Amino acid sequence: MKRPIKVIIAKLGLDIHWRGAMVVARFLKDAGMEVIYLGNQFPKEIANAALQESVDVVALSTLGGNHLTLGPKVIKLLRDKGLNDILVVMGGVIPPEDIPVLKSQGFDEIFTPHTSLKEAAEFIRDRVYRREESQKNLKMH
Amino acid sequence: MLITILAGEVEDMSDTSKGTMLFRKEVIKKIKLCERRWKEEYLRPEGKESKETYLTSSGIPIKSLYSPADIEEFDYRKDLGFPGTEPFTRGIHPTMYRGRPFTIRQLAGFGGPEDCNNRLKFLLKQGATGINIVFDLPTIRGYSSEDPEAEGNVGQCGVTIDSIEDMHTLFAGIPIDTVSVSLVTHLPSVTTILLAMYLVMADERGIRWEKLAGTSQNDFLMETTIGSAPEIMPPQDSFRLQCDVIEFVTGRLPRWNPISYNGYNLREAGTNAVQEVAVAISNAIHTIEELQKRGLDVDAFAPRLSFFWDLCNDFFEEIAKCRASRRVWYKIMKERFRAKNQRSMWMRFHVQTSGVSLTAIEPLNNIARSTIQGLAGVLGGAQSLHIDSYDEAYSVPTEMAALVSLRTQQIIQAETNVTNVVDPLGGSYYMENLTDQMEQRIYEYMEKIKSSGGLIKAVDMGWLHKEIADQAYEYQKATEDAKSKIVGVNYYPSDEVQRPIEVFKYPQTEEKQRAKLKELRGKRDNPTVKKTLEELREKCTSGENIMRYVMESVKARATIGEIADIYREAFGLWTFPLF
Repeated sequence: MKRPIKVIIAKLGLDIHWRGAMVVARFLKDAGMEVIYLGNQFPKEIANAALQESVDVVALSTLGGNHLTLGPKVIKLLRDKGLNDILVVMGGVIPPEDIPVLKSQGFDEIFTPHTSLKEAAEFIRDRVYRREESQKNLKMH
Repeated sequence: MLITILAGEVEDMSDTSKGTMLFRKEVIKKIKLCERRWKEEYLRPEGKESKETYLTSSGIPIKSLYSPADIEEFDYRKDLGFPGTEPFTRGIHPTMYRGRPFTIRQLAGFGGPEDCNNRLKFLLKQGATGINIVFDLPTIRGYSSEDPEAEGNVGQCGVTIDSIEDMHTLFAGIPIDTVSVSLVTHLPSVTTILLAMYLVMADERGIRWEKLAGTSQNDFLMETTIGSAPEIMPPQDSFRLQCDVIEFVTGRLPRWNPISYNGYNLREAGTNAVQEVAVAISNAIHTIEELQKRGLDVDAFAPRLSFFWDLCNDFFEEIAKCRASRRVWYKIMKERFRAKNQRSMWMRFHVQTSGVSLTAIEPLNNIARSTIQGLAGVLGGAQSLHIDSYDEAYSVPTEMAALVSLRTQQIIQAETNVTNVVDPLGGSYYMENLTDQMEQRIYEYMEKIKSSGGLIKAVDMGWLHKEIADQAYEYQKATEDAKSKIVGVNYYPSDEVQRPIEVFKYPQTEEKQRAKLKELRGKRDNPTVKKTLEELREKCTSGENIMRYVMESVKARATIGEIADIYREAFGLWTFPLF
């Protein structure tokens, strides 16, 4: 049996809208993942928590317009801590033209208001297990 | 009291005990028989309905057809009355929109105060009749633009206000002695600061407080339940500041609504229409009890308590909600609080179309959604209206999108004739039945809150958060299973490549605000700022109404972050009880 995937979900900075983050958190939990809901946090706290909890996934939620400023900061702090294999995703109200920018800065996926919960969960599961496989293969060789 | 002459006798119109039942028992009996025969003869199996059950969005089962048998006890004067008379189901003013059109109050807020000032002037020039300011997240959570917490959020989602100087810039050239201004201040803590800035600004412009018409949101549920944040004031302290604001405004600002009980954001966070009204009214009841404890007479402040409802997609339910909320409020004020002034029994509310219902896919469809939602508010007898813009699933509206919203209001108001008749759906069997059911369910949910320990405890323990989250989760699952249909998303999903629309670009604000703050610190009398802040800190714990002291700090040019820091230190922080 595969171990449960461990996910941190955080509201980014001061964004106040918790509905989406909470719904996603519940769904991932129901889908068998271990979910740590951090509430509102700034990049430094998010990266620290990711290290401490040794999570597979960091999921950020923002509808507050800070995705381009605070989002890349989280990626940078994770990399600084050597957390290169963590899957980092973001969801919320993100203008389409900002999505490629965020991806080029290291986000694995950006979920928009119309991403279904199932799609998001499948993406996470698929990517995490694929990464695990490739790491195993690396070790074997 | 209204006296009228009816059939030769003088009657007191506020006495609703006198029977004006519309249907006699034997008539109802006959109608029921006819209905049974109609079902047997006309509703044949091959004409079966497409779903097994039909529910309103808050889960009330509905029939395919309504008749007098569904409102058999209907009593015209007890249940409806005339507009402007008890129980105010039909509206709070005798002529409603004929005498006083609903206020066209479109939200505006982005960038620095000078950017937002331009948008305000644009909207007023195009025919807006009220102002509605939304603030950025740092301002809403009590941080100045230079605070590390504010990084990346300055001027986004709303306008940034760091000090009284920014309040001056925001309203420069705007006649605040004639235009009514709604300050969407969300939290009581920040309301104390922003309202103080508004009042000091009026003083410095030489405008008397009696002239100031408007509203401050000031709802402790916004501070503790509906919006999450890294640092949150404990519910009982936030509630106290909510009451401090109302107490301070009472007797000083006769045209100002010190609170707007915010059902809207409760709904947007996940509640249904019944919970939306029940929670907001429960908060109002707690407020009245607290202010009575402080020695105020209910009729001194209740006329200026106001409400804020959401308009979602279930057209008739939203109208029934507006009507039912007026009747519930009337009964509570009359029977429970024994108010004597009729204005205390007036449920006055602003409405806004639903942001959550907007789709990012095929965004122009949102114009149709918002128009239908806005119409529900007008048929429900709202006092003022904001219509969301089609591009809000992406960002705050562009000027063009904001103009379409404003024009939609004007089209409803001027082109459709819907404002010519008061409560045009009154007397519809369905509407009256649904209004009754909403009313009943609102009382039931208020009881549920009460039995969970009262609203403040329900918040403190996370009970209300869980109620909202449960409901939001159910809605989302229903959407994903396509049980609730969203056009272009799960119903006839859009398969064409998205045509891009123009998305609003925020002006650069953070650096500009930092520079202004630096200049402010160089100019102001820093020891006085410090002295006023220390005095404020003392009053936070003494229990005295703090508004006066906040005004002193504001006058001395203290920043919003400096004042809110005093609150954070004096009241401590509370953990948002989710998960």
